[in-house]
Amino acid sequence: MTMRLLPLVSLLVLLNGCGKPGPGSPSEPNAGGAANQTGVPGPFEISTQSGVPMVYVPGGEFTMGSDQGNPDEAPPHKVKVSAFLVDKFEVTQEMFAKAQLPNPSHWQESPQKPVERVRWRDAKRYCNERSLLEHLKPCYNEKTVDWDCDYSASGYRLPTEAEWEYACRAGTDGPYDFGRADRLRQYAWLAENSDQKTHAVGQKKPNGFGICDLYGNVSEWCEDVYSANYYKESPAADPQGPPSPEKDVKRVIRGGSWKSSPDQCRATARQGERTGNTDACFSTDYCGFRCVRRVTPAELQQLRAAQ
Amino acid sequence: MLNPTSVAGIPRPRFALRPFLLFAIIAAALILHIRPANAQVPFRERLKSLPFKIAYETYVDDNWEIFVMNADGSNPVNLTKTPNANEHYPQISPDGRQMCFSVDEGEGRDAVRSLYVMDINGKNRKKLADHAREPFWGADGKLVGFLSQEFPKFNVSDFYTTGMNFYDLAKGEITPHVNSSNLHHLYNPGWSRNGKWIVSTVHAGMGVEHGILLIEARGTNIINLKIPGCRPCLSPDGKQIAWGAGDNEIAAAPINLDAERPSVGEWTLHIKDQTNKIYHVDWSPDSRFLSFSRGPNGEGDLTKPGTFQAACEIVGVHAAGWNICVVPADRQGTLDLNDPSETDFLMLTTDGRSNKEPAWFRARR
Repeated sequence: MTMRLLPLVSLLVLLNGCGKPGPGSPSEPNAGGAANQTGVPGPFEISTQSGVPMVYVPGGEFTMGSDQGNPDEAPPHKVKVSAFLVDKFEVTQEMFAKAQLPNPSHWQESPQKPVERVRWRDAKRYCNERSLLEHLKPCYNEKTVDWDCDYSASGYRLPTEAEWEYACRAGTDGPYDFGRADRLRQYAWLAENSDQKTHAVGQKKPNGFGICDLYGNVSEWCEDVYSANYYKESPAADPQGPPSPEKDVKRVIRGGSWKSSPDQCRATARQGERTGNTDACFSTDYCGFRCVRRVTPAELQQLRAAQ
Repeated sequence: MLNPTSVAGIPRPRFALRPFLLFAIIAAALILHIRPANAQVPFRERLKSLPFKIAYETYVDDNWEIFVMNADGSNPVNLTKTPNANEHYPQISPDGRQMCFSVDEGEGRDAVRSLYVMDINGKNRKKLADHAREPFWGADGKLVGFLSQEFPKFNVSDFYTTGMNFYDLAKGEITPHVNSSNLHHLYNPGWSRNGKWIVSTVHAGMGVEHGILLIEARGTNIINLKIPGCRPCLSPDGKQIAWGAGDNEIAAAPINLDAERPSVGEWTLHIKDQTNKIYHVDWSPDSRFLSFSRGPNGEGDLTKPGTFQAACEIVGVHAAGWNICVVPADRQGTLDLNDPSETDFLMLTTDGRSNKEPAWFRARR
C-alpha cells in the first residue's frame, strides 16, 4: 500500500460518513483506492458471512507511539503490520446476543449500543463464537488459562495493540487522524458530549479508513499484555505484546470512551486494564471491543465478489 | 472481638482509682450486654451441640460432589458419588427431607446444566429440568423454583438466566412465574418464609444495572432493596437478610417482609476479610448462625475436568483453597476474619477442595 495516498482516502471516507451499523450494503470508502501487495485496492468495506460490516486494512509500515504523549507511548518506533479485516463498528449488544452470550451492559436502551462491562475473556469468547457461526477456525484455545491466541487461524480475535493503532491512525502521524483536536466531537463520544453514557455505534464520522468510534464511545480491549516499557523492546513486525506475567496481568485497552478527556482519546494513548474474573457486580462500563481477523488474498477476492 | 467503634465513646481512664473503677464497670457492662450470653462456651462446642447439618459442594477426585457434615464440621459424607456428573448448589427443603441441586454434564459450550431433587440421604434422585439453574424451595416445600438458561448454549455466568419457573413436585408440572417474561438476568434467588416474596440478585437486566430485588411470588410487584452487592439470603425467622456486600464482605440487616413495601434496616453485622473472598452466605434453621464460603481470589483451573473459567465464586468454577466457615449471626458490629484474636469464627472444612455454597438444615433423628 502506498501510504502517501491515504490522506486522500481519508478525505473520501469523511465525505461518506459512517452510515448505519449492522448488516446492510457495504459502502466503499476507498472506491478506486490504491493497489496493495495483494493486488486488491484498499482500504474498503466488506460484509462477512453473518452480515457484519468490516473494513479491509491493507498491510503497511507506520510509526507507532509518540514522544509527545505519556511516557508509555515512547519511544516512537517503526512497525510493520500485515493486512487484516477489522470491524467497522464496536461489537454491539445485538451482536453479542446473536452469539448466545449474556449481555452484561449497563446501558441497554438500544441493541445497537456497544456491549460494555465485558471482560477480556468474554470478549475472546465472543470472537470464538462468531468464528464458529461463520465456520472459521477459532483463534482462541479455551483450554488454556489466557485463552492463547493462534494468530494463523482464520477466525476472529481481538486486535493487537499495533493493529489497533495502525487502523486508527489511517496513514497519518498526528494524535488524531482527522487533524485538529477541536474536531474530536465530530468523531467521538467522549466525556464532554456523551451525556455520561454510551451511544449507538456509527453515529459519528468514521476515521480515514472508514472505521467508526475508534476515538470514543467505549474503550476497546486488545490482545496484548500491557507493559509501560514494551515499546523499547517491541519487535518490528506484527508485535503481539510482551509475555504474560504470572500475577496482576493487565491487558491493553485502546481508544477513548464516553468518560474520556480529549487527551485520553488520542490514537497513541495507552491504558492497561485488569482482566480479572471479578464477580458480575464489579465490572467496568467503559470497556468494549471490536474484532479483527487475518484474510488471505484469495479469500478477500471471494468476499469482495460476494458483495 | 468487639468492633472498636462500639466503645469509641468511652473516655480514656487515668491512673486514679475512681475513674479506673468507673471504666472497668462500664467496660464489663458493655461486654456482658453485647456479647451473646453463651459466648464463653468455645464456639466449636456451641456448634457441636446444634441439631443442624450443612450441605455443600466440593471437588474431589476430579468431580464435583455434594457433601453433608455436622454443624461443627465433623463427619463429612459424600451424598452423590457420581464420577460422571458434577453436582453443585445444594438447596434444602424447609422440612429438611429433600435437597434440590444442579448437575453439569458434558464440557465447555456443549455442557448441559440440569436440576435434580433427591432425598436428604441421597436416594430417589429425580431430574426436574434441563438448561436450568439456581433452584430454590417454596415456603411450603411443594414447589421448586428455578431460573431458565438464557440461551441453549452453555455459559457459566451467574446471570445467564431468563424468566422464572416453578416445578410442582406432586404434579410433576412446570408453570412460569406470573411475571416470568419480565424477569431477566436474575441469580441466586430465595423464597421468603411467609411465601410472599422471592429475593434475588439482578445483573444487567430489568432496567437495573445491578441490584438485589424483592419479586412478588404471585404477582408483578418488584422492589429494589437498594443494598450493594449480591447473593441475598433471607433468614428462616423471616426477620433478617444477609448478603454479599462485596468480594470481601458480608452484611446482615433486619428486613420487614410482612410490610406492604419491605425495606432493609441498618446493618447489624458486617463480616470483613481483607485477604480472602467471602461468598454464599446462608442462615442456620434457627436464624442464629451464618455459614459462608471463603478463599483466595482465582479464576478457576481448566486442568480440572468438569470446571469452567470465571470468577471462582461462580457455580462450576474450581476455587482452590476455599472452605466453609461459620459465625454467629446474633453478633453485632464488625467481625474481622483477619483478626487472630477473633473467637466467633470457625472454618468447618480445612481441605480447601473448592468447598462452596453451604446450605444448613435441621438434622432428622
